[in-house]
Amino acid sequence: MTPLIEFQHVTLGYGRKIVLPDINFTIHAGDYFGMVGPNGAGKTTLLRAILGTLKPLSGKVNIREPLRFGYVPQRDTIDDILPYTVQEVVMMGRYRQIGIFHRPQKMDREVVMESLRHVDVADLQNRAFKDLSGGQKQRVLIARALASKPAVLILDEPTNGMDFSSKISILELIHRLHAEDRLTVIMVSHFLDDVANYVKRIAIVERDFFQVGELNEILNEKNLSSLYQMPITVTQVNGKKVILAGERRGN
Amino acid sequence: MGTKEIVSTIIAEFPYALYGSIIVGALCAFLGVYIVVRRVVFLGAVLTQISVLGLAITFLPFITVSHTVGSLAVTIIAVIILSRLLTGKKIPRDAMLGFIFAFAIAARILILQKTPKVEVAEIENLLRGDILFVTPELFYLMLGVFIAAMIVHGLFFKEFTYIAFDAETARTQGFNTGRWETLFYVIAAVVIAVATHIVGDIFVFGFLVIPPIAAMQLVKPVKAIFLVAFLIGALTPMLGLLLAFKFDFPASPAIIAVVAVALMLAWARNTLRHK
Repeated sequence: MTPLIEFQHVTLGYGRKIVLPDINFTIHAGDYFGMVGPNGAGKTTLLRAILGTLKPLSGKVNIREPLRFGYVPQRDTIDDILPYTVQEVVMMGRYRQIGIFHRPQKMDREVVMESLRHVDVADLQNRAFKDLSGGQKQRVLIARALASKPAVLILDEPTNGMDFSSKISILELIHRLHAEDRLTVIMVSHFLDDVANYVKRIAIVERDFFQVGELNEILNEKNLSSLYQMPITVTQVNGKKVILAGERRGN
Repeated sequence: MGTKEIVSTIIAEFPYALYGSIIVGALCAFLGVYIVVRRVVFLGAVLTQISVLGLAITFLPFITVSHTVGSLAVTIIAVIILSRLLTGKKIPRDAMLGFIFAFAIAARILILQKTPKVEVAEIENLLRGDILFVTPELFYLMLGVFIAAMIVHGLFFKEFTYIAFDAETARTQGFNTGRWETLFYVIAAVVIAVATHIVGDIFVFGFLVIPPIAAMQLVKPVKAIFLVAFLIGALTPMLGLLLAFKFDFPASPAIIAVVAVALMLAWARNTLRHK
């Protein structure tokens, strides 16, 4: 397995405030990597370090060059006061490749349409982004990330604020992008169920409780109960992992 | 005097007032789309007051720089400091802007009280911008600023709009959003400083806000919003000046009244269309 991102004794924080001390882990090509943890634990900080927008206070982050990230931000961080069309939003994913002083060419428009088709929203191309539902917006933002032709797709809380069916549909889409396109995926979520049934490897992000490993070795009752300081039960229903608050009763 | 005669008089007697207010209106309206979209309208108000403070400082006896240079220097320094202060989390952004707004006005009044050079009323007139008596030098300076600002914004339209829409993702793609933001605000500071000297703070602030909102009511495509805001900014000063002459109103408030009516009409049209 080819290592793409490697954290070696990395301490992350802002100024004098340390958020995550002495982190070590590696993300390999083809990984489906989940990052979970309570709100404010440092998930976004870790994400920023991976994306290179936050420099570590100490240690080393090795990124295999050239590595292109496709980033899907939290939907609510986007202020859509201007009525951009879906096509215009996805075209933004091409801006780096288009370069300064240049305008989008036919090839860029083709990539945009291909990305929209890939996430099943080609029919929305002329609609205003601001008028879409949460699930549709998320698909458009994923299309924008894909338009940059990334090697790694990074999603920050992709199912936040979504109804049940939209949430499942987005998680299935991300799963398909990983399985069929062999994209390396890093997904941040504070919903344990989101990651429990999709990702292969996981990081529990908490200041004094940072752990990385295979899903089953990390997402167990002992670990989660310590992390959330409450009894947690991990069980299976119809072959799917279900995580519940409270003590296990019987089988 | 008939309308035709008034128009001829304005063109013949006050060409710099007419063309100056057109380019200031158009440019402020164009930049105002970003100001409204970034939800930093109050920053526009603060920068106009800072540029007025910069002008006031040039009246102090020991200051030897020209009014325009003084205003420009103070506004650019302020915008660079502001870009740092506003990213801090200890004091809310609105509160910080409110403090600077109040400070700029208070400091200007205090400075004027201690200015021996000329009568305070005369200075106040200059500080408010006296459209009818725009000098050719100021007009050509404004024209230069207009051309430079439009060229920069034309060249980097996609970068400025992307960063205004989603700076976080732009940063992950390697855009140095801090530098782009600084470039945007420095251009805005230069425009506001020179424009305030020509047409006054009320005109500048009004045109940073009103035409963009009107344009958003009238059209949907993003490029069309910039274009329509630009056109409203360019056309309404002409009508305002005409009305000011016809009914003997002061020019700046008459122009603001016209652009405000344009906004109300746009609003009404939008409301009726959605009923």
